[in-house]
Amino acid sequence: MGNLNVIAIVMVIAVTVFTVGLAIFVRRFTRTTADFYLAGRKVGTIANASAISGDYLSAASFLGVAAAVYASGLDGVWFAAGFAGGFIVVVLFIASALRRFGEYTVADFAYGRFGSDRIRLVTVVMVLLTSLFYMAPQMYGAGTTWTVLVGAGIFGLSPYNTGVLIVSLIIMFYVMVGGMKGTTLNQIFQFWWLWTAMFLVVVFAFTVGKFSYPDALAEVTAENHRDVRMVSVADLTADDGALLATAEGAMSSEAFAAVEAAVEAGDPEATIGILVPATNKLHELRDMFFNEPGHRYNGLDQFSMVLALVLGTAGLPHILNRYYTNPSGAAARRSTFWVLIFIGTFYILAPIAGLAGKLIIDDAWRAGTAPTNAAYVDGLLARSDAIMPTLAQILGGEWLMGAVAAGAFAAMFSTTGGLLIASASAVGHDVYEKYVNANASEARKVFVGKASVLFFALVALGIGIGIPAVGLDKAYPALIAMMVTWAFSLGAGAFVPMLLTGIWWRQTTERGAIAGMIVGGGGSLFFIFMNVLKQLGHLGDSGVLPFLGSLTFPTLFTFPAAVLTIVLVSKIDGQLPKNVDEIWMRIHGTASERHEKELGLDKVGGMFSGGQK
Amino acid sequence: MANSGDTVVRTGSGVQVQHGNHIDTIESVDLVFRAQRKLSFSYGLVFFVVTLAIPAMSVWWKTWYAVPVWGGFTANYLFVSLLYYLFLWGLSWTYIRKADALDERLSHMADEIAAATAVAPAGGE
Repeated sequence: MGNLNVIAIVMVIAVTVFTVGLAIFVRRFTRTTADFYLAGRKVGTIANASAISGDYLSAASFLGVAAAVYASGLDGVWFAAGFAGGFIVVVLFIASALRRFGEYTVADFAYGRFGSDRIRLVTVVMVLLTSLFYMAPQMYGAGTTWTVLVGAGIFGLSPYNTGVLIVSLIIMFYVMVGGMKGTTLNQIFQFWWLWTAMFLVVVFAFTVGKFSYPDALAEVTAENHRDVRMVSVADLTADDGALLATAEGAMSSEAFAAVEAAVEAGDPEATIGILVPATNKLHELRDMFFNEPGHRYNGLDQFSMVLALVLGTAGLPHILNRYYTNPSGAAARRSTFWVLIFIGTFYILAPIAGLAGKLIIDDAWRAGTAPTNAAYVDGLLARSDAIMPTLAQILGGEWLMGAVAAGAFAAMFSTTGGLLIASASAVGHDVYEKYVNANASEARKVFVGKASVLFFALVALGIGIGIPAVGLDKAYPALIAMMVTWAFSLGAGAFVPMLLTGIWWRQTTERGAIAGMIVGGGGSLFFIFMNVLKQLGHLGDSGVLPFLGSLTFPTLFTFPAAVLTIVLVSKIDGQLPKNVDEIWMRIHGTASERHEKELGLDKVGGMFSGGQK
Repeated sequence: MANSGDTVVRTGSGVQVQHGNHIDTIESVDLVFRAQRKLSFSYGLVFFVVTLAIPAMSVWWKTWYAVPVWGGFTANYLFVSLLYYLFLWGLSWTYIRKADALDERLSHMADEIAAATAVAPAGGE
């Protein structure tokens, strides 16, 4: 167990208590299903933009983007740009149409647009899969952050499992109690905490750390980029010590002396960190520099990554559900613009933190002042995911470290809260209210929503605990970012083609949409599992299967395949819903909004006015 | 099928939806849809051309990805880390302004078209 960060722990507890208190305060205003799932459709533009941003910024954004830049330079910066760019697809093609359609969930849209129970159930399954894929990295982040921050477990549990358990219970409680209103208010608070914490780290870097953006970039680019590798002594000495010689050329003499000492100790199973020169996967004949592309992705992956990130955002159910909380289609567009401002500024800051960490952590390590809770290899962090708390502690002591640690938990709370609402609405609203008990009272419906939250929080808990058990944490060096990318890929394959064609191509049929969802969603699942199997070492190194498992981002293939499938099957099928005119008028008609505007009903009300009686 | 508060009327020439004094006919909705589609897909084309041009230039244009233009910034790094956001903000701002203006203009036209083609809402559901 490392040093106990008392101030940081107190700040995390304070944020948690505030979160729970807010949910309890909002409880009295949640009476109906519209309150529980949609905050009464009365969330204003800036408030909704803040809540969407809080919903969107997960552990992957708060901890993962700076870490990706720290580890991979320009290829890591793309995570930030791609996460932001995804909202352009939302605002151009989906936001106002989805709101005008005026339902609760993505599955409602599918049912209303195509008119069959079959497509609603297929959509529910895809919503649940996407949500679970997105919940997994949040739970993993909870366990790892708890391990770094506290380093101790309770009731005989490991620190990792303790973190997963405690975060699951807190989120379960506040979502069950507060519903969408409580979650919305918490997401607003949590987003601004995240934004402020990131802003403070960057301000401290410029002031305390004497950081200059262009000069720092020139400094880290002056020499070849290096990677950290954790290897066994046996691997290090294999092939006549080829790896050892490579490490000697990449490391300082002081750091390499520690490697030599481990080798001389003679334990072949001992693990030690070394540095090796990074290779350029894009331009194989060039050295790899921090400010150039190619550290993580080859030519195909460069395009596929961009597509996965910008299309995936429009396929995240918990983000799409938030668009129904806007009072009008125009308000949905304006919310998205403010989301782009809020998260755009955040994503400009995160890569600065990643680059600043490169120099400031190295300087602190060489001066002997770097925090001892993190592990280092010749001045580089052994695990890049630790960059935010480590950099914060160097620049601003325990207070800034506390702000960052609380921000990490806030990121997990806000995103997982939104995912639980999305999952609960898929089961409680899309299945229970439609197929199990259509005549249920409002109180009964809200009860089922809360029971669904309880169920999925327990599923998330199981997933979080199961990740290390199956060895996923060892198979992927940057697991949080990887798992988030899976959720993006699944959403981009399953939902975006259906939504785009459903909104913009009148000839889309129910069979076409289902076929497209199965091809896009199923194809994404197939490639993801092939990739997992390959990383776990079950597919070997040559042949067709390892090739299929090597696709990091399947969207380049699954998205066009799904669109093509929808078009072809719809053309062959030709069975449009009998009331297709009504459906089309519901998506693109504006009489409702004109009427509401005339009566002044398009204005935002208060989130605290709906449920209290 | 329609939203709550809708009055759906089926006529010999098609379906219309009425909200208070405002009516959507299939002709007026088609007008709105076509204009919105043109606007959204024009902006979408610009977005995807610019966004996919970045990795394309990263693959094929050395001056873009390897030549410093400001301190350690290459044009590639500068665009992805800073300028891309200006592009996103500018694109979304101009799109939203045009979409709002389009909504405003089309709402008047929709009312005019509806007035010319609508029938009295008898027998609505």
